[in-house]
Amino acid sequence: MRIEVKDLKYVYSPKSPFEKVALDGISFTVNSGDTLGIVGSTGSGKSTLCRHLNALVKLQSGEITVGDIRLNSKRVDLKQLRKNVGMLFQFPEYQLFADTVKKDVEFGPLNFGFSQAEAEEAAKRALELVGLDFDEVASKSPFELSGGQMRRVAIAGVLASRPSVLVLDEPTAGLDPVGKREILELVTALKSGVTDTVIIISHNMDEIAEFCNRVIVLDDGKLIADTTPDELFNRSDIVDRTELDYPHTVKIKRLLAAKGVDLDTPALNAKELTSAILRRVKG
Amino acid sequence: MSMQGKDPENFTIGQNDANGETDCVTDVGTPLIKADGVTYSYRNGEQVSRGVTDVSLSINRGEFVVILGRNGSGKSTLAKLLNGFLVPDEGIVTVRGIDTADDDKIFEVRSVVGMVFQNPDNQMVASVIESDVAFGPENLGVPREEIEERITDALETVGMEKYRKGSPNKLSGGQKQRIAIAAILAMRPEVVILDESTAMLDPKGRREIMDTVLKLKREKGMAVVLITHYMDEAIAADRIHIMNDGGIIASGSPAEVFGNEDAVRRAGLELPVAAKISLDLKKAGLDIGFALTDEELAEEICALK
Repeated sequence: MRIEVKDLKYVYSPKSPFEKVALDGISFTVNSGDTLGIVGSTGSGKSTLCRHLNALVKLQSGEITVGDIRLNSKRVDLKQLRKNVGMLFQFPEYQLFADTVKKDVEFGPLNFGFSQAEAEEAAKRALELVGLDFDEVASKSPFELSGGQMRRVAIAGVLASRPSVLVLDEPTAGLDPVGKREILELVTALKSGVTDTVIIISHNMDEIAEFCNRVIVLDDGKLIADTTPDELFNRSDIVDRTELDYPHTVKIKRLLAAKGVDLDTPALNAKELTSAILRRVKG
Repeated sequence: MSMQGKDPENFTIGQNDANGETDCVTDVGTPLIKADGVTYSYRNGEQVSRGVTDVSLSINRGEFVVILGRNGSGKSTLAKLLNGFLVPDEGIVTVRGIDTADDDKIFEVRSVVGMVFQNPDNQMVASVIESDVAFGPENLGVPREEIEERITDALETVGMEKYRKGSPNKLSGGQKQRIAIAAILAMRPEVVILDESTAMLDPKGRREIMDTVLKLKREKGMAVVLITHYMDEAIAADRIHIMNDGGIIASGSPAEVFGNEDAVRRAGLELPVAAKISLDLKKAGLDIGFALTDEELAEEICALK
């Protein structure tokens, strides 16, 4: 689903001593099929920007269009918008609330007007998507599950409403390496058939490099780059100014280049880099 | 275990010591924390879930120890046992020779072992930074003049002295965690335990905390125990313990531990990127050594040519 953001501006506590410009003249487009990364330091406006996409924050100035819904119009169909844009907040396992996993996951679909039977079917499918066995977990309390499982139940709760756009705010924060890998592989799997557009906020540049086809960089409320991961990590002016980091693969490639070993690869994941090194050394 | 010294300043190791002799704390070889055969289970009515099982380890002065393992492997339980927040069901934990099960001495234990948690926002108690840092020593009954001195020292150590009169809620995540560390330092501990204290931070915040950790070790000779899911942070450790299912399954230097493929796989860890690539290159037939850091890998590759 296509998303267009034009000249978005947002000010917290306007006309008060605590006034703070959170977003300043942000414009970008997300195309159907994109996996867009949003990066920038804490407080740069990433979460505020994402909250606009399903109208959790009231638009102050600028234009946003999600699919064919214009957020500026007098009457916005909020239900339809929120069904289209599924949002997963930071540490979503803290938002589980129902006494069984089934009820928790069905809650969204029931609110979007699914019948009980449809909601149950949707819950079943969503739990399967995130790799949990419906019959095994349905009647359990979400609070009996492990951290990684709870996070997956929370994701299932968003997926159950079949959103076309999935917004993930630091989806892997606090997870162990296996949990991280599972969530990212899930996102990749969702892209083939379930949710065509994914937006990920992350502080982990290795993840951005490996999973996103596009990335935007926010710095103090301004959009300072809209590019591909490969190009971004070649722009040391931007990376250093925003005090981001480089993916390890890019760091290794640069160290090698400094020693006179140039590799013919963007080196966005370990596999690519390994093959490029082999080609260079053996060839 | 009974304490042999009556004088609280003269902490002793006690009868568990192999030769039965009492060692003075100033003895460099004496571990600051010693856990011996420690088991702890959580009880909720009829339900019993195992936290840690038969864990033994020691933390020495000036040592940087990292604990790795998947969520639920017992890392945080172990951390809480090390500062007497939890008391073992079986086995014993001693801090400078004091049994953590000794209720009368718990304040001594906690003043030796400080703990910093994951969420910086949950650890602030005051609306002005210097009051936040003063909270610990005030509770320990430290005289006012000395508290001032401790605040200055602690804030200087974490590089936050100029924010002293400011409010914590305007700080970045990394800065808040540094204040949380300063608040612990003001109690003059000898060990700081950081329980996933970098998990919620951006790359800059993580770098700030790691720089602070290394500084505490280098300049203050403090011991630091870091629980983390970031393999990059583990590489800088003197010693790593890998936990799985409540027990320690491997211990050693970063090179030893990450070289232990079986333990890494069982504990669901991921190798640092450089280590993974060096192993893959070796499997592909190159005569290349094991690398942990990006720099080591680049050197190994250049040595091939």
